[in-house]
Amino acid sequence: MREHSGIYPRGLWQAFALPGVVWLLLLFLVPFYAVIGVAFGGVDPIFLIPVPAWNPLDWNADSVVQTLRGFLPGGDYWAVFLRTTLYVAIALALCLLIGYPVAYYISRHAKRTKSVLLALLVLPFWVSYLMRMLAWVNLFAPSGYVNDFLAWSHILPDPPDWLNGNPVSVILALVYGYIPYLILPLLAALDRIDKSLLEAARDLGASPFRAFLHVTLPLSMTGVLGASVIIALPMFGDYYTPNIISGSPTTSMLGNQIDLFFHGGPQPAIGASLTLILSLFLAVLMTYYMHSVARATREVRDE
Amino acid sequence: MRDHDAGVSAILEDLKAGRISRRQAFKTLAALGIGTALLPALSRLASADDQLMGPGGIPLARPNKPVTLPLWEDPIKSGLEPETDGTFTIFNYADYIDKALVDEFGKLHKVKVQITTFDSIDQAITRLATHAVRVDVTEIVPDRLAQAVAGKLIKPVNPDYVPNLKKNVWPSLQSPFYDQESRYTVPYTVYTTGIGWRSDKVSEDIAKLANPWSIFWNAQAYKGYVGVLDDSREALALAMLYRGFYDINTEDPAAIDKALEDLKALIPICNPKVNITQYQTLPEGTSWLHQSWSGDLLAGVFSYLPEGTDPSVLQYWAAPRGKGPIQNDCWAISATTKKPVLAHLWLNYIIDNTVATDNFLNFNGYQPPMNSITPDALVAQGRIPASLRNAVMTPDEVGPDSLQECTLTAKGQAQWQSAYAKFVSGA
Repeated sequence: MREHSGIYPRGLWQAFALPGVVWLLLLFLVPFYAVIGVAFGGVDPIFLIPVPAWNPLDWNADSVVQTLRGFLPGGDYWAVFLRTTLYVAIALALCLLIGYPVAYYISRHAKRTKSVLLALLVLPFWVSYLMRMLAWVNLFAPSGYVNDFLAWSHILPDPPDWLNGNPVSVILALVYGYIPYLILPLLAALDRIDKSLLEAARDLGASPFRAFLHVTLPLSMTGVLGASVIIALPMFGDYYTPNIISGSPTTSMLGNQIDLFFHGGPQPAIGASLTLILSLFLAVLMTYYMHSVARATREVRDE
Repeated sequence: MRDHDAGVSAILEDLKAGRISRRQAFKTLAALGIGTALLPALSRLASADDQLMGPGGIPLARPNKPVTLPLWEDPIKSGLEPETDGTFTIFNYADYIDKALVDEFGKLHKVKVQITTFDSIDQAITRLATHAVRVDVTEIVPDRLAQAVAGKLIKPVNPDYVPNLKKNVWPSLQSPFYDQESRYTVPYTVYTTGIGWRSDKVSEDIAKLANPWSIFWNAQAYKGYVGVLDDSREALALAMLYRGFYDINTEDPAAIDKALEDLKALIPICNPKVNITQYQTLPEGTSWLHQSWSGDLLAGVFSYLPEGTDPSVLQYWAAPRGKGPIQNDCWAISATTKKPVLAHLWLNYIIDNTVATDNFLNFNGYQPPMNSITPDALVAQGRIPASLRNAVMTPDEVGPDSLQECTLTAKGQAQWQSAYAKFVSGA
């Protein structure tokens, strides 16, 4: 048993964690249990608004089972689930392709400009996500600046309709919207890598590329995973990006279905069930991430 | 014998309330030994039962099957003085009423007036039902009235305080089918669902097509610039009307599935956008052909037409009476009001000729059903472009044979919503 140091009052450090614990309980667990209650609950017979089943003994699994069936190949949600997964996977890959070099450059090579570049990275957070997406609508409109430039420069004399149900636009908008959230944690991970390890690799004859491949990249993998999880989770539930950028059923995502069932009508339990199933799917990703972090921590400790 | 009578009464009550079907009632009555003597009465009851039952056992109103809503309390007495001081709260969609007119009402009655907004009528009902808001008057739609009355969310109206209803409003909406005797509501705006398009982009004269609804299924040339209303009832009704199927309150799964199939067929043809921003996108030219509400086109001309754009490029077509939806919105008094007299005066104020016309022509573009407003006069005065003459309706467009999207049973609503969810999933 750990001795009480005597310098600090008993329970001081636990008290520091208290706000976070309360926040987690009130703002995550309670709402999440409410979603479970709605998924397994009923609706008010007059107003058709959800009546959550708080007691697990009262749960009715019909809606959850019906929704789960929809995720089977050919089911109601199969196509939209596949589309969502594909969009998120491509957007994530693009974010990493663009974001990793940026984070790497700032961490390793941006000496005096580092603080300026960091400020520039934080700059998008000053404007709300919604506003940034609306700005895209103006930029990419048929007669917007992007198409004007493409036509003027003859890069694309006949520019495409970016906003008319174009999946490329939705994916690019996801990349644009979420990339700052990827770069910052990645930068922190790269900054934490002990530079002496790289120097050792170079001293032992590794080329800069091999040093990156065998030292930097493996050591930054937990950061890559963490940053990926941070942006993949909200991307999976995103519904306003496809709404604003496309508006076509051909680019709708799972979040749009959740929004539709929660927005009104007599089937809020379907909306809640979709949320639960999506959460379970994301929990698998989270578990993999936590497992990877634990393994990396073990390896570092063992070395 | 008393038990027997009570059993019969209970069965009849269940039948009336829609808890059991007519067939179940007949079988159970037969089991109780009810003979042929009662058959005529049961037949009468059976025809009454053709009207589906909604929340709280209130029959679901249809234009040809009007409903008198039950009074859950007496209206306030006549001749009371309006309340003054404090805050009077109006519950409404954002940007659906002119703030200047609201302020004017406040000045007139020496109260501070506040507008609390909702995004959808579902949200409004939820917030009223959960007492998340305390308001004095609320905007409401006819297909949610049964809910609001059964759940005691709105108060009965004393017509003595609302003389403008008889004086100014279309006779066809003075005692509308959804609220006979106007026990709870006064009408606010009236609008058709039709087709809005840009005549400088769409080559067809849609109004002259044999089946104007078919334009959406022949819109390959306008791919990417076509829109369908983001509303389960409106979108599926579009497909039904295209096929000449006019029972737009059907709960027949086969009819709904057919509409879904037709709606999905639009995706490869014109990849429609699903939204309700046509009031902006049509005038701005980012949409060329859109299922629209009549008020959107007028609002587009009043507020969104870019400078230099000829308003006559905006066109609107609505189907003749009985062949296309015509709807109206209403105002009602919230059950939580602390200013019931003033709330009545609000209902009267909103159907004052000057107030209603100002709100229509200087603000939201949605027509109030006032006798004083006629499309010919508006065109002659230059208040609206001639190309949008049919975005303004006349009283004879509302009647027992008009089409209106009315309340469905909970099961029916679920069927429509599930079908619509499949369409918007793009599967």
